[in-house]
Amino acid sequence: MSLFKARDWWSTSVGEAEEFGSGCLCVANIDNGSDGLDKIVTGSYQGILRVYNPRPTKQEDGWSGYRPEDVLLESSLPNPILQVEAGVFASGSDLLHLAVLHSRKLAVYSVSVMPGAVDHGRQYQLKKTYEHSLQRAAFNFCYGPFGSVRGKDFICVQSMDGTVSIFEQESFSFSRFLPGALLPGPIKYIPKLDSFVTASSSWQLECYKYQVLAVATDSKTKEESQSMKSGKRVNYDWCFNIGEQAVDIFVTQFQQNAPQTILVLGEKNIFCLTETGKLKFMKKMECDPSCFLPYASVSDGGVNYLVGSHTKSLMVYQDCTLKWAAKLDIVPMQVCVGTFSDLKGVIVTLSDAGRLECSYLGTDPALFIPPTTDARELNYPDMDREMAMLQKKIKQLANKSAIVPSVKQEDDLQISCQVNSSLDEPSVAVDMEYEDADGVPSITVRIQLKARLLLENIKVIVHVDYPLASSLQTFDVSDVDPSRPSEHFVSFFVQGRGLPTTLTANVSANYISASGAPRVAVGRVKLPIKLVVKPVLPVKNAEFKLTLDSNKPPANLLEIFTDLAGENAGGQGAALGFQYFGGPIVTILASKTSQRYRLQCDKLEGLWLVTKEVVGRLNNHFNKGKTAAYSIYFSSQLPLQEYFDLIDSHFEHRLNAKRCSEMLAQRASQFRAIQRRLLTRFKDKTPAPLGNLDTLLEGTYRQLLHLADAVEDNNKSQDLAANSLNCGTRLFNLLIRLWTSMSDDEFKVLQQTIAPIVPSSQEQGWEESVDASVTHLLRTTLAKSAKDQTLNPQPLQMPEDTTKVKKHIALMCDKLGKGARLVEGMPTNTAVNMAPSQRKEKKNKISATSKTVMENGHIDTSDDTETLIGSQFGKQKHKRKEADSLSYPNGMSELPALGLPVENQPDEGLEFHKKKQIEAMVPDLDDMADHMEGPGLVPLED
Amino acid sequence: MDPLFLAYSYFRRRKYQECVEICSQLLEKNPYDQASWTLKTRALTAQVYVDEVDVDEEGIAEMLMDDNAIAQVSRPGTSLKVPGTGVGGPSPGVRPTSQSGRPLSGFVRPGTQGGRPGTMEQAIRTPRTAHTARPVTSASGRYVRLGTASMLSTPDGPFINLARLNFAKYAARPNLAKALFEYIFHHENDVRNALELAALATESCQYNDWWWKVQLAKCYYKLGMYRDAEKQLKSAQKQQDIIDIYLYLCKVYVRLDQPLTAIDIFKQGLEKFQGETTLLSGIARIYEGMNDMENAVKFYKDVLNFDSMHVEAIACIATHHFYTDQPEVALKFYRRLLQMGVYNGELFNNLGLCCFYAQQYDMTLTCFERALSLAEEQTISEVWFNIGHVALGIGDMTLAYQCFRLTLANNNDHAEAYNNLGVLELRKGHLDLARAFFQAAYILTPHMYEAHYNWAALADQMGDLQSSYNAAKRAVDAFPDHVDSKELLKQLKHHFSLL
Repeated sequence: MSLFKARDWWSTSVGEAEEFGSGCLCVANIDNGSDGLDKIVTGSYQGILRVYNPRPTKQEDGWSGYRPEDVLLESSLPNPILQVEAGVFASGSDLLHLAVLHSRKLAVYSVSVMPGAVDHGRQYQLKKTYEHSLQRAAFNFCYGPFGSVRGKDFICVQSMDGTVSIFEQESFSFSRFLPGALLPGPIKYIPKLDSFVTASSSWQLECYKYQVLAVATDSKTKEESQSMKSGKRVNYDWCFNIGEQAVDIFVTQFQQNAPQTILVLGEKNIFCLTETGKLKFMKKMECDPSCFLPYASVSDGGVNYLVGSHTKSLMVYQDCTLKWAAKLDIVPMQVCVGTFSDLKGVIVTLSDAGRLECSYLGTDPALFIPPTTDARELNYPDMDREMAMLQKKIKQLANKSAIVPSVKQEDDLQISCQVNSSLDEPSVAVDMEYEDADGVPSITVRIQLKARLLLENIKVIVHVDYPLASSLQTFDVSDVDPSRPSEHFVSFFVQGRGLPTTLTANVSANYISASGAPRVAVGRVKLPIKLVVKPVLPVKNAEFKLTLDSNKPPANLLEIFTDLAGENAGGQGAALGFQYFGGPIVTILASKTSQRYRLQCDKLEGLWLVTKEVVGRLNNHFNKGKTAAYSIYFSSQLPLQEYFDLIDSHFEHRLNAKRCSEMLAQRASQFRAIQRRLLTRFKDKTPAPLGNLDTLLEGTYRQLLHLADAVEDNNKSQDLAANSLNCGTRLFNLLIRLWTSMSDDEFKVLQQTIAPIVPSSQEQGWEESVDASVTHLLRTTLAKSAKDQTLNPQPLQMPEDTTKVKKHIALMCDKLGKGARLVEGMPTNTAVNMAPSQRKEKKNKISATSKTVMENGHIDTSDDTETLIGSQFGKQKHKRKEADSLSYPNGMSELPALGLPVENQPDEGLEFHKKKQIEAMVPDLDDMADHMEGPGLVPLED
Repeated sequence: MDPLFLAYSYFRRRKYQECVEICSQLLEKNPYDQASWTLKTRALTAQVYVDEVDVDEEGIAEMLMDDNAIAQVSRPGTSLKVPGTGVGGPSPGVRPTSQSGRPLSGFVRPGTQGGRPGTMEQAIRTPRTAHTARPVTSASGRYVRLGTASMLSTPDGPFINLARLNFAKYAARPNLAKALFEYIFHHENDVRNALELAALATESCQYNDWWWKVQLAKCYYKLGMYRDAEKQLKSAQKQQDIIDIYLYLCKVYVRLDQPLTAIDIFKQGLEKFQGETTLLSGIARIYEGMNDMENAVKFYKDVLNFDSMHVEAIACIATHHFYTDQPEVALKFYRRLLQMGVYNGELFNNLGLCCFYAQQYDMTLTCFERALSLAEEQTISEVWFNIGHVALGIGDMTLAYQCFRLTLANNNDHAEAYNNLGVLELRKGHLDLARAFFQAAYILTPHMYEAHYNWAALADQMGDLQSSYNAAKRAVDAFPDHVDSKELLKQLKHHFSLL
């Protein structure tokens, strides 16, 4: 982050594909020119040494930049160059020489000029003065007047293993091991102390006196050699722990007699120390520094330094205050300051890829020009028009509550599903939750994907409601070719314990359309009922019974259920029995004399699928090709109480779940409290007795596990109850529909009000949402007066009991029974089944015979609905015993407790029922059997 | 060229992968080459290194199972847990709060996003969106991800098998041990082994190395033993004054919820290291956490005296000026950020708002246009929300409505947008819709008083006095000085007492 950028004065790329490290740049008057101007020396790892003399000239559009004649010298040396430095390295000369460090060699060169006739005729020559070969791989070197000699620079080479070798110009002096060296660090010479300072692998600065190093030799071996294997341990003069690896060290002295300071650049901090190893100041960097250079001292005792960072910026610090930050184009590996023609204090930086830049600090902003956003010619009338159009569209859409795509586009992918006509042989049903003696069948569905164009990566998901399951849930299709539709086979079977709620399975495929939009194609599979039920012998008695009326004489059931005749085949087709796999038996009976059908089952929810199937098949059977004159209606009493039992059982589970989770939460917080106490006990310095807290912890833990199990169990049974409620609701809705002969629109409203989908969520359960929607209906469409229409919705919370929802459902049924409509604007429903006159008659009859017997089929026996509801609830328990006023032609009785064989005439049946009430407590089985027309129905179940 | 030299050079040029490769080759030739072993260790560490000072992610478990708190109910102005109890906190009516209930900061740092939930249950139930997400414990989350990252870098299995390491042997060798420690701590993220090594190493150097004490403290901190960490740091501080020690010490005190002590320590550090920006901004951050904006801004200004390129300081000062009705000044700061090269959707959004409130209308829309083109998924909803505000300001209700809808389309947890939509619907006379919007808003962010008050006022008009009373009470809880809510509450109480 910087406001300004470093202004480019002169720059060039050094070589091609060459690498440079720190140390590969040196700025000095290497040719000892009389003008005292600095030259730039670079040496690459590829072994090429170059000397530049930048001399840009000012032009109209800035500086002229790099020119070929700026290169003074280019020489390819046989070995990689690790470091270049300029110093007085040759004996008998006080000129600057160039020391070049190779991996195994140290060479000193002199750069000399051969003057030519003109400026560019000048020639520069590199002459080797002397060289030392090194025994160990070198890392870096430092130089200085070791031993306080005057006017000479000696060289100290540090090798990769931390050995320092001192060369007194042409002669080798000695080698020493630095203690504890592992990886070498930067090393510098402090002239005032005649010491070396280096950063060791223990991440501390160590200062070694030259004298100590020189005398620390074994007296036995006089001979000094570089290839020594052991040596005396030398001790450092002082050390300072910086706690990080040092990147670079500089020793500075800007004024005579001022104390020298040692500046250390670490990986995260900059340290400034006195020459005796005391911290003067430090500065924590907020970016990763790559190199630095102290260049001057402006204030007394202070130091100014440049820091280059890996974030491509160059910062100027005065002590620890940031004075300037400039943006660079490169990450500098090394930074130097030099004096060139016309310009003093030029900052020279070198990147590791060989970008050499000479720059100065200026107030040119770091010209960051934000890219212009998509600029187009603004055409205001067009824009206005487009805007108006869009606004109109938005308005239209906003008015619609649900956003529905108006035009259905043809899908790129189509799913077609074909159900096999026969069940699988053998069945592929696996992982069953229950056992069935006959084995659970499965059916295979062929799913065909047809594409209009080539589609790839299609993910197909097969979903079917519990308890049904499919052999494949998801599968991937890598591609579908328009010419070759892809085919897959999926088997469906009943896996779970509950009763199936629907026989529809959904197949959806996700794919990316040709235009790049994600799309979903959906296909539906209608599974046959024979997948979930098997034919068994009809059962005479059952807990729940339903009677359906029709306007045609009953059909032969065997004709209707040709595929499910089973053992009943060959009979007269008046009674059929089906058993759910792992579930109850449903019996269908067709009356011989009257136009009625009866369905009975031990479970209310079990009636649903079969009832639906019967209604559907009967409609198909009779309406085949003719006018739709056939109709089925339901005229007996709605099984309200039975349905309410289902609601209660589901609600009971919800309550239970709530209780369990409350308890679980309470135990969990207890557990945490104990944990916390134990923790403090354990952390206490003085051990204290645990005071049985551990036992308590253990006990609470067990309780937690137990409760969690209980929650799990409850969830499972709640799912089952929800499933039953789902079936029950569907049946109930169907019955209401048949009862009131609803239109499709009305049925849709009903289906949405008393929704068959039972969510498993604890927060927003079925009871309260159904209650809310039924209340809404009662307050809006079903409201009689404006008084009822006040809307004051209650918050959706779990109710305390189910009284309210039951009351509201009953009230709704009552209003529907009175002819109310669920869709506004329709005339009062007069088609509520069974003519009112007939009902009236019956009602009178009943009241004549007995006050205690409730009239059967209708709840509107009284005009005062409120009391009716109350009375109904009051008599709920009785109803089951007494409410079977309608009897059946074939003599199947409605009441399991009574098992009453009734005569053909319903009215007589009533009378009969009254009289025989007591003696009929024992079912008259023989009588039953006589009346039965089914093939050998044996009343086993009783 | 010597391969080890090349590897070392790559390391210094931050080409860690190349460095690791060369070291691996060297180690294959000579498995006992300590130099290349150390270099590889350091290169692997540097690949995943994050400065521990900057990492402060407080997990839910740490926050709630915290047994280090001095007092359960702290005195006003001495705790970070209940900010705003001291003097000078900005009112939520002026400075909006983040999704977690803290006043907006100008700069997002770890830990500024999450509030402090009261109980474990509440913490777990808080919706875990991108705006409020907080790891369950700080031992998981980012640290686990780091662990997996380190597995990736060494596909052949771990470079060092910690289980088979003889720590005592390594601890005695300071030149190996420090790099090894950093490797275990940062790369392997194995705090227990790191602690063991540090304990042995500090023993073997006769407790004379401050560095090892700081590392011990780092381990203790991660293990949640803050008092032990404090002890180690204090001992290290006696040996050597280093900035990092002060920073770590303050981090410990912040975790112990002793912000005032932390500030004291920072100030002691500043006496030693004058003008150290990390210390100064540390103080400012604590003041900001305590809602003491005046002091926070004062220290941020000090930071700028020493480092005028400090983005955090500039951003925080700009935010402060903006919310104290000086959009022109804020604009200057934000413009500086732009000149410095910050180029993102958030900045343009702020610039746009400043321009709007400073009545430089010509720039407002262009700024927002840029903000929209630059904003990332998480911030685009905020940009739309602010455009909605501008639309409200110029009275274009349709545009405002559409902007708020777009806000919700991008982030359907945006409670402020729900609230504003509610107000717009209310103006149109759609009471039911307005009610639904208000309810959605206050359920999403219970600490936002506006939605409570709006719903209370609406319910009062509709005659649902009970709801109105409850909502007004919640509004007063969220913002005790809100005059209108208090007024409404008084009225309702009066009304109820008449009944």
